[in-house]
Amino acid sequence: MNTLLVMAQIAGRRCAIEAPHVDMVIEMGAITPVPRTPDFVSGITAVRSQTLTVIDARLAIGFDPGAFAMDHRAIVATHERSAYAIRVDAIEDICTAVSDPDQVPGGFGEAWARVSSGLVETRVGPALLLNLESLLKAPEPFGAAA
Amino acid sequence: MDDLLADFVAETREMLEASSGEIVAWEADPTDRARLDTIFRFVHTVKGNCGFFDYPRLAALSHAAEDALADCRAGRREPDSKLVTGVLAIIDRIAAMVDAIEADEEFDTGGDEELIAALAEGDDGTDDPSATQAEQPYLSQTDVQDNPEQDKTAHSRSDTAVAQRSIRLPVDLLDRVMSGVSDMVLARNDLAHRLRQAGTQPMIDGPFERLTSILNDVRDAITRMRMQRIETLFAAFPRLVRDLSQTLDKQVTIDLEGGDVELDREMIEMIRDPLIHIIRNSIDHGIEPPSERKAAGKRKTGSLSIAARQAGNTISIVVSDDGRGLCPDKIGKKAVAMGLITEGEREGMALNDILQTIFQPGFSTAETVSNISGRGVGLDVVRQNLERVGGTISVKSTNGIGTLFTLQIPLTLSIITGLNVVASGQRFSIPQSYVEEIIHSSSRVLDFTTVGETGLVTFRGNRVPCLKLSEVLELPSSDLADDDLTMVMLKLANGDLFALAVDDIHSHSDIVVKPLAPAVMQAGIYAGSSLLDDGMPVLLLDITSIAAQSNIVSDLSRRLHAVPEEDEGNEVKDHSRAMLFTDFVGRRRAIRLDLVKRIETVQTSALDRSGITPRVVIDGAILPIIGLPDGPFEREKLRFLRLSDGDSQLAYAIREVVEAAELSGSLTPVNDDPLVEAVTLLGDETISLLDGHELFARYGEMPTESSKPLCRLPQGEWSRTILAPLLTNAGYEVTSEPGIQEDVAIWFDDEYEAAAAIEMDFAAPVVRLRETPEAPENSPTIYRYDREGLLAALNSARHAGGQR
Repeated sequence: MNTLLVMAQIAGRRCAIEAPHVDMVIEMGAITPVPRTPDFVSGITAVRSQTLTVIDARLAIGFDPGAFAMDHRAIVATHERSAYAIRVDAIEDICTAVSDPDQVPGGFGEAWARVSSGLVETRVGPALLLNLESLLKAPEPFGAAA
Repeated sequence: MDDLLADFVAETREMLEASSGEIVAWEADPTDRARLDTIFRFVHTVKGNCGFFDYPRLAALSHAAEDALADCRAGRREPDSKLVTGVLAIIDRIAAMVDAIEADEEFDTGGDEELIAALAEGDDGTDDPSATQAEQPYLSQTDVQDNPEQDKTAHSRSDTAVAQRSIRLPVDLLDRVMSGVSDMVLARNDLAHRLRQAGTQPMIDGPFERLTSILNDVRDAITRMRMQRIETLFAAFPRLVRDLSQTLDKQVTIDLEGGDVELDREMIEMIRDPLIHIIRNSIDHGIEPPSERKAAGKRKTGSLSIAARQAGNTISIVVSDDGRGLCPDKIGKKAVAMGLITEGEREGMALNDILQTIFQPGFSTAETVSNISGRGVGLDVVRQNLERVGGTISVKSTNGIGTLFTLQIPLTLSIITGLNVVASGQRFSIPQSYVEEIIHSSSRVLDFTTVGETGLVTFRGNRVPCLKLSEVLELPSSDLADDDLTMVMLKLANGDLFALAVDDIHSHSDIVVKPLAPAVMQAGIYAGSSLLDDGMPVLLLDITSIAAQSNIVSDLSRRLHAVPEEDEGNEVKDHSRAMLFTDFVGRRRAIRLDLVKRIETVQTSALDRSGITPRVVIDGAILPIIGLPDGPFEREKLRFLRLSDGDSQLAYAIREVVEAAELSGSLTPVNDDPLVEAVTLLGDETISLLDGHELFARYGEMPTESSKPLCRLPQGEWSRTILAPLLTNAGYEVTSEPGIQEDVAIWFDDEYEAAAAIEMDFAAPVVRLRETPEAPENSPTIYRYDREGLLAALNSARHAGGQR
């Protein structure tokens, strides 16, 4: 309750990331591709002399990014001392959660269940609360599936 | 209270570290009063402190040790090895208790009384075996390696003679400051790039330069902060050697040298285990038992010496013993038995190469496995650990005389020089330390061939595997033909060579290596990332892993077939080999191979065509050129054969190197071209063989090494970072220091006019640079980005200035 959330569209769905986990939102500059990495790693980019690993959230969850628009901005989050820039369809707004994360009978579908810790109600409607750790840890299940 | 306790723990550890070396030295020379005093001070301080903190057991232990030592000081008791062992055991116990205190655990094993008793027993001279029994199992459990906490203190022990002021800092904080400064350097580079784009702005450039120099200072200082004297590592060794030699019934003295060499704190941690392993090996396998030594006519006491030295960016640590040495026969047989090499290979190997097989995985010659070494983790692990940090290890040995291990390690892990290369349009960085040589491969000298799926090149007579970087990275290969790729010859830590074919070489730079996210590291071919001056991130390649993934490491040494040596022999004897090339007019020509010193690739900007004989600057030497076409060149780089008759040199411009060939056909002299000695048949073609004698008689010149023209540059970041490299490439020596007589000077036009206005005396011809592309009326200035114009102006100014 009352947590600030960064709202974003990912693969056409409204998702939320807890604001305390987000370092900043940046304008994407040039991305240096990194060969021989999983698809969802778009490359690396530099922001204020810091190197970020660019992750395409749609690919990390298991969707085809070609079917969706892409925001020119990215959400920057740090996980285990590595900084990531997460690319999404669109970054929308900052909202306050009006409920605690909750499960829905029947679940959200396999792809979403892996990266989400539940549904939160916000003033703009329900959104999937993303678990950054599982999103960034995508390699194993994703790699195995591929 | 917690702070006080932490201080107590840290202080005790620091003293522990210092005193373990002292105590062994004292044992060797019990009359050494100074050492005795040091140890006494230690136990005394511990006693005092733990009374203050209410640790009765610590107090009792240190009290007992203090009593015994006090007796020695007062001359009531002679220090013997029993006493020393007892005191050491107590110091060990104190260390273990201090660890427990820090971890906030209960230290519950008893046995303090026995330790104290062991001291007292010796007092009345009776040799009670039970006392020795009591301490023996304890001693064998404890050895320095298993007790890393003891050495965790991050502070170098200041020399006892020179008391340096020091403070204690948490290591985390240091790391944070270090990474902060690294970031500052990167931010500065970014800013520098933007400023360069914006053009010269005196208002900003001045302060910016100041910032740069301050930052460099700070970076230096911080780097030194991370540095630690290697003696912090060495301090534990006397004790280790003593314990080992006692357990093994050997007598060994250790000699440490170069303890003041400093290296990166992390690096010290990385080399700790490898060094300990080598020491264990030396004492266990190398140094003989006293009786055997005596029989061999050596001193009863073996000696082990460890010396550290710094040379440039590497530290070499040499561990040598005077033991029985390594036996190449035994090692060779063993290696064959293990299947590491074949019998045939063993016969062909030099003795020294056979010795290096001890670093191969799965090698151990010890006939019996003792609990000191030979426990399965062998020298291969040592080698691997060292290679992980970019180090190397090698061994030399003379049977019966001794063994010498040499470790080479880089000074620091975090800032390295990188060679930036291009593959499929993307830049990557290679640690400069791996780069042996860069070769433009269009010459067929490299003889790029594909055998099966493996590319091979010939480098200095060896067939060397060749990887294409774009293939390694699974990038679409570029449009460049194989012949146009640039070969970077890389030397792995174990001495194996391989070639990495890249599209182009970009630049060298000092890079601050940053770790990458796990998802990227997973690829296993990157060592980190860094930012280039233009703010773009670049990936640092992990050369060792790339070589390992391509399976060219382990069996590389076997595949590195020397092209049969007879070839070289013939070459010298018969003088009948020649290098075939195509000259600029398209003719096939040959020149005797002995005359060809090197094949050089040179930027056209290094050419000076203003004189009658064109000249080229190669490696600082000015050489006359022959064979150059008239008119402009269609390419940026020219290839030359650098010919030498021993004294004089000249550069022969060629279009392409064809191959080296045997002059087997008969030579038919020709008279129509003085430069041609003869024609001969090679395959189905007639080839003109150039007349070396005539060439040198006409054009040969002693290379004028020192006459690299000196060019004075204006002050400033722009001239240092942009102008200086350009001129250096073009063969100029550059300076901006006052008081040196230059050959030509470059001035910014505004500064020049100011100087001219005060009628300053210009010692050398001046080339003036202007800011704008468009020249004002009647202005003899050059636009500062007009490279061709600038070089031409410098050339003509120099010649006008009297051919200095």
